[in-house]
Amino acid sequence: MPGANYRAGAGAGAGARRPRGARDREEDGGGLEPAAVARDLLRGTSNMSFEELLELQSQVGTKTYKQLVAGNSPKKQASRPPIQNACVADKHRPLEMSAKIRVPFLRQVVPISKKVARDPRFDDLSGEYNPEVFDKTYQFLNDIRAKEKELVKKQLKKHLSGEEHEKLQQLLQRMEQQEMAQQERKQQQELHLALKQERRAQAQQGHRPYFLKKSEQRQLALAEKFKELKRSKKLENFLSRKRRRNAGKDRRHLPLSKE
Amino acid sequence: MSATAAARKRGKPASGAGAGAGAGKRRRKADSAGDRGKSKGGGKMNEEISSDSESESLAPRKPEEEEEEELEETAQEKKLRLAKLYLEQLRQQEEEKAEARAFEEDQVAGRLKEDVLEQRGRLQKLVAKEIQAPASADIRVLRGHQLSITCLVVTPDDSAIFSAAKDCSIIKWSVESGRKLHVIPRAKKGAEGKPPGHSSHVLCMAISSDGKYLASGDRSKLILIWEAQSCQHLYTFTGHRDAVSGLAFRRGTHQLYSTSHDRSVKVWNVAENSYVETLFGHQDAVAALDALSRECCVTAGGRDGTVRVWKIPEESQLVFYGHQGSIDCIHLINEEHMVSGADDGSVALWGLSKKRPLALQREAHGLRGEPGLEQPFWISSVAALLNTDLVATGSHSSCVRLWQCGEGFRQLDLLCDIPLVGFINSLKFSSSGDFLVAGVGQEHRLGRWWRIKEARNSVCIIPLRRVPVPPAAGS
Repeated sequence: MPGANYRAGAGAGAGARRPRGARDREEDGGGLEPAAVARDLLRGTSNMSFEELLELQSQVGTKTYKQLVAGNSPKKQASRPPIQNACVADKHRPLEMSAKIRVPFLRQVVPISKKVARDPRFDDLSGEYNPEVFDKTYQFLNDIRAKEKELVKKQLKKHLSGEEHEKLQQLLQRMEQQEMAQQERKQQQELHLALKQERRAQAQQGHRPYFLKKSEQRQLALAEKFKELKRSKKLENFLSRKRRRNAGKDRRHLPLSKE
Repeated sequence: MSATAAARKRGKPASGAGAGAGAGKRRRKADSAGDRGKSKGGGKMNEEISSDSESESLAPRKPEEEEEEELEETAQEKKLRLAKLYLEQLRQQEEEKAEARAFEEDQVAGRLKEDVLEQRGRLQKLVAKEIQAPASADIRVLRGHQLSITCLVVTPDDSAIFSAAKDCSIIKWSVESGRKLHVIPRAKKGAEGKPPGHSSHVLCMAISSDGKYLASGDRSKLILIWEAQSCQHLYTFTGHRDAVSGLAFRRGTHQLYSTSHDRSVKVWNVAENSYVETLFGHQDAVAALDALSRECCVTAGGRDGTVRVWKIPEESQLVFYGHQGSIDCIHLINEEHMVSGADDGSVALWGLSKKRPLALQREAHGLRGEPGLEQPFWISSVAALLNTDLVATGSHSSCVRLWQCGEGFRQLDLLCDIPLVGFINSLKFSSSGDFLVAGVGQEHRLGRWWRIKEARNSVCIIPLRRVPVPPAAGS
């Protein structure tokens, strides 16, 4: 086979030319340098069989082999180093930028400072939110609200019908609801504080603190609600309404009666 | 023994033509002998030759008895004396040669050093102090343009001046005689080709460093290339989208840089009649451009308030800030430094390594207007004598001002005022620095904000006489 002869010849030649130390190193398992092999075998690739070509590929590496067979030289480095859009090494040096970027037709003559929106709820500048402190600080608003409520009631007496009456009615209702919500929040807070104090007292006695689950907290809140309803004698009313609502739900789930 | 020998023994120098001849013969003989040294006979022969030649030219010979009395040296001493004499002559010759060589080397080294400094942009010949303010009578005025001069160039050999004006014509002037050598008249709009010329205001001109090509740019976006010697039209470069406001050839090449109110900088090769590339970066209409031997050019960005250095191979630009108003003119002093002028009345000196000016002279031409409403005179032109510390600025303040750049270009000191009425729209120094050329007009080159009726549309040649300044006592 001509390819085999060529390879044997090449090998012999290479061995004869190299100094003894180099041959020893090769026999130890180092092998020829890929570049050297590539140079030696460049001329004979056209005469080689596929088997030999595969062997050559494994010997010199895929990348070198591809370049060798295809005759492709490695890609030339770009002659120009890429210029960053704007880079300054030293603050006193002039700004260096690319000269190939087209400038927009309309330029910004006066630099516009971008307004940075701040949300006071999540801003450190606004300080920490402490509900107790907040309530104490803005306690005077409750008096103002009460006065406003009285004023709305007076207005309602004047306008007994019409659009104005409806508007005032809605406003009054809203005010009352807000007041109720605030009271509820206050009660919740008081309950929370009571639990905290209880826990602290237990800790002082040497007991391990016990934290209620959410479901337990809900049950406690419900019990408190019922107590409150009992106290205000609205419990019966509340329960009858609840029964009616549940009955309606049940009826909805029943199949339609055939007439 | 000869009289010369006796005289030498007594310590008197030998004189006369014969002595010289003898010495020459001796030298020749010794040279031929080389390293072998002088033989006894050789020395004797030398002595005899010299005595024969000298005896005729000197006084009559003394009687033999007296001569014998005087002759008290042995053959050995004689040989030693002659050898010493020969060595002394050789040493003198070598010293003379060494001196001449050292002088030549100093000259060559000086030239090389100068070239290196010029390439680096560090060369600064100190000539400003030597300049003497010229008298008004010495200024030569060349009249020929109908309207305001907008730009001018001086040929590299300083023999001719090309000037262009708002009348769209270009005139070639002889520096020596002051006569018109050639006129390129205005071309009618729409008339194709015959004869070629500009149909709108010529705003800028440039001449190649070999004096072969002249380039001119006008308001109608065209760059026309002319053969400088014969003023024959060669090519027309189209490509700019607005008025061409600046042109410069790279020194030592036929590469042309152009800039325009379209805010771009274009590179052309005139010898090959080809376009090379376009560079972008300015935010507003570019007002002026200049270049030297490096492959880069500088531009004055007008109202965008920047001066930019364009690195052509890297396709990048350096941005400099400093003036408050519109930067209308710029000129390179050397490869590393430049001078610019703006309509806020300031003149700035720049170095390529600092983004701010090295020196800024505000109100360089003073103020004008009512008290309380004073405005600075706009700087309409600047020029610098290449690789020196001399700078000239022009405005419409009835004078051209010469300035001296201080040490390291960190200072700008006023030298003198040269009276010239009108708008100084262009200034150019001759290559040798023997004269300064000013293009004067009744109007500013870029507009018609004012009109100075007393002014004459002319080219003024201002001679610059140098008076060598004596070195300071300390140095």
